[in-house]
Amino acid sequence: MNPSLFRIMLYISLIICLIGLLYRIGRWFIIKTGSEDAEYSPGKRFFSALKGSIVLIFSPKILLFFKALIFDVIFQTRILKHNFLRWITHVFIFVGFMLLLLMHALDGIITVKLFADYSSTLNPFMFLRNLFGLMVIVGVALAIFRRARAQKGFLRNTLNDKFIMFIVAVIMLSGFLLEASKITSAPVFDRMIQDYSILKEPEEIKPLKVHWAKEFDVVFSDITKQDLANKTLLDEGKVSHEDNCAVCHTRPGAAFISHPVASVLKPLAGYSNEARADIWIYWVHVIACFIGLAWLPFSKFFHLISDPINIIANEMIDPQKINPANAATRRALELDACVNCGTCNSRCSVAPVYRMLGNEEILPAKKLATINAMTRGKEFSEADLKAISEGAFICTSCYKCTEFCPTAINLQDQWLVSKKELESKGHPLPHVWMKEKNAAEWADEIKDKISPRFSGPGHLNLTDRADTFSVCIQCQTCSNVCPVAACTSDKGVDVAPQKVMNLLRMGLKDIAANTRMAWDCTTCYQCQENCPQGIPVADIMYELKNLAYEHLRKKS
Amino acid sequence: MSELKNAQQGRIDCDLAVIGAGMTGMAASVFAAKRGISTVQVGNIDGGLIFSSSLIDLMAVHPIQDKKIWENPWEAIDALVKDSPEHPYARISKEDIQKSIEEMLGFFTDAGYSYYYEKDKNLELLTAQGTIKHTYCVPYTMKPGVTALAEKAPCLIVGFQGLKEFSALQVTETAGSRWPSLRALTIPFPGSENKKDLYIAHLARALELPGARIKLAEQIKANLKDEKYIGLPAMLGINRTKIIIDHLEKEIGVPVFEIPTMPTSVPGLRLKEVFEANLPGTGVKQVFPGTVTSVTEEGGSFIIEVGDTGRSIKAKAIILASGRFLGKGLIADRVRIREAIFDLPVTQPGHRNDWHTVKFLDPSGHPVDKAGLEIDNNFRPLNASGKPAFENLYAAGSILAHQDWKRMKCGAGLAIATAYAAVNGIKKENK
Repeated sequence: MNPSLFRIMLYISLIICLIGLLYRIGRWFIIKTGSEDAEYSPGKRFFSALKGSIVLIFSPKILLFFKALIFDVIFQTRILKHNFLRWITHVFIFVGFMLLLLMHALDGIITVKLFADYSSTLNPFMFLRNLFGLMVIVGVALAIFRRARAQKGFLRNTLNDKFIMFIVAVIMLSGFLLEASKITSAPVFDRMIQDYSILKEPEEIKPLKVHWAKEFDVVFSDITKQDLANKTLLDEGKVSHEDNCAVCHTRPGAAFISHPVASVLKPLAGYSNEARADIWIYWVHVIACFIGLAWLPFSKFFHLISDPINIIANEMIDPQKINPANAATRRALELDACVNCGTCNSRCSVAPVYRMLGNEEILPAKKLATINAMTRGKEFSEADLKAISEGAFICTSCYKCTEFCPTAINLQDQWLVSKKELESKGHPLPHVWMKEKNAAEWADEIKDKISPRFSGPGHLNLTDRADTFSVCIQCQTCSNVCPVAACTSDKGVDVAPQKVMNLLRMGLKDIAANTRMAWDCTTCYQCQENCPQGIPVADIMYELKNLAYEHLRKKS
Repeated sequence: MSELKNAQQGRIDCDLAVIGAGMTGMAASVFAAKRGISTVQVGNIDGGLIFSSSLIDLMAVHPIQDKKIWENPWEAIDALVKDSPEHPYARISKEDIQKSIEEMLGFFTDAGYSYYYEKDKNLELLTAQGTIKHTYCVPYTMKPGVTALAEKAPCLIVGFQGLKEFSALQVTETAGSRWPSLRALTIPFPGSENKKDLYIAHLARALELPGARIKLAEQIKANLKDEKYIGLPAMLGINRTKIIIDHLEKEIGVPVFEIPTMPTSVPGLRLKEVFEANLPGTGVKQVFPGTVTSVTEEGGSFIIEVGDTGRSIKAKAIILASGRFLGKGLIADRVRIREAIFDLPVTQPGHRNDWHTVKFLDPSGHPVDKAGLEIDNNFRPLNASGKPAFENLYAAGSILAHQDWKRMKCGAGLAIATAYAAVNGIKKENK
């Protein structure tokens, strides 16, 4: 327990942490999520953010700061809105860890100032330390349990996620072990006698030892069972304890985790005392903490910085009025705010499509991770870009992910920007790229791969059944009520529902599926509702679109 | 208590259920409501009405094989009834037919869609093909066209590039010998110059905006010479027709008239909107869309099941106005024709081979078109023994046998008059 070694390690960790923080925060002003962000230089973005913050702080919106801080950052209502058990898990970890950090790790700076007669071995501190440690362990256990049980693809477990759970578990478990080892440690007792009492002679110390062996579970090699039964020694020890120790020491039973652990390990206490296990465990505990501290900017611990900032920014900034330079900065900051909690995935409206197609780029958490990878310069193959593009357009912009993200990431904005990026990289939405060819050309492309009757499982198979559209009398009612046919500025002639029906009547299903109409259809259902023959025109359009895409996808 | 039970079952109670949402069903509902009969109408409003040209034919051609056209529809009816006493018109007096049409026109006028007619005369007007149509009542939008034709006044027919269903040139070519001062003009529709295909209902909706009307008027005015009338395909709006016509006439300076087009025609869509907007106010409950799947008797009333909706109607009387093959009132398979709901006997040619004559456009028509239900003088359909199938079941409209409304030009008149007779039959029974 060399204090200067401790201090050196602490300062090194702090410096690494600070440099890392500057680096990570600095990148918020540099990262470009979209090519339009290049318009704003890092310097411009920094000063714009500074100006924006100052304006907000000195406006009535400062009240929102406190609202966000209290409800969303401290009480984490955003998680509560989604799921009670998840909220409990995170509150346990957060409250337990923060209070241990502030009241235990920093007890020399904080706790001592608040409580004049503080001693770590007094109650309620001893009890609370165990309680908070237990909270963290329960929380982490729940988190690990949830991740182990998650369905494939819905919860991403990166190295970062595993690292933080590992480090926190190590810190907590080593903490309990440390306390347990110290409880039974004779060498620690000896040191305490040396540092804090006036007792010098072994005869003076022995009664105290007996008292501590009996009441405090210390294991001494030189105290026998008879000593423990000796009433005189016990009485003297009790008095000595009152004089020398009681001010700072409550019974260890208050350490309701560490003490039972110590009891269980008592048979090995002789060996652990000799080997000074307490010192080893202390260094494990402390080094784990320092690793966590030094690595904070690069690990999931960083969310302790990025998430409160993002949550407060979300509350205070009006997304309609945000300065584009600040929007770019916010998008970059958000990439660091994601904690892979998977809430967005569990709320995603098109998650069933992921289950059908197996393309992970459909799910929001992966989409954000991909955007992150893109900003770091990762190169994507054509096949990757196709998968990413598919994920982008299957998203219906329903806003559920944005609504429920506990860290207040404006996912909707990220998707809008990334879709534009994909377009500029040559991967626009399907109803754009399918206009590169006309219906007959597309039909040629897919016709060799599929039979004319290409419905399959999961479809209503309307378009394979002649009775669906054989009653079409080409009265043109569907075309007359179709708003797309009315408003289209497309110069193509194949934008009319009745034409698609006619192609189907002629058995030209592959051409019908590739008409502009099938892809521009907004499924407003006017055609289906007005058809005098009761033909499900809109449902047919929908089925054609899905069949065509399915076959184009298979082909590639 | 039973009201509650009925409500829970989705059941509606009424005196009269009208099955059918074409002109016959609508007319029956109008008449019944006027007479204080609680009425429920069930059917598919997106059926016959939207195919209508909105002209009201009374009687114009008899005998159809001679294509003899009558100037006076009442004389035509007399001749028809003498030659074909089984025609539904034979069971209604001319006074009643006249009253039914006047009552129906009153409804249309109140709804803001008034008609023009001359009591004893059929009117003549141009069709989109340039042929001459003989009809009894025309909507006010088409009336100037009747006058223009009668006067043979100089008239500009305007068509639009991309509107396949109307060719101004075809109109003038076909009608030119009869009406020499017709001139054709084809222009792009303002705002749709890039489109290759136009649909008439879209143009009608476009004209509901003042800006589009001003542009159109400018275009027409720039091309107008000494013409006294402008003829357009029927596209002058669906809901704001009067405003559109007044505005165009003000801008151009001469009367504007509509020319009836093929289905789906805008006046047909207008009729649908007129009924949709104005029938509920008369107290008629409507179950649209609704396909009647079964009718059973229960203690002197009919219980009508409507499709898979779980709804049913309990009615003391039914008017069956379910139409012919398109309306699915009659179902034809390879062997015979049957009536869809009650399986009433359908008068039809003895053998499938006799349904049609060899020539497709045979002037005397095809026997299958005269198939349908037999009725008594109270317009109740008959069973196999020649007696009314049910005491309180009435039938009206095109489902009746012995009429060929398309060739006789008596469609709407038949619908309105037989609906009138059926409703009066109910009123009589209930007295």
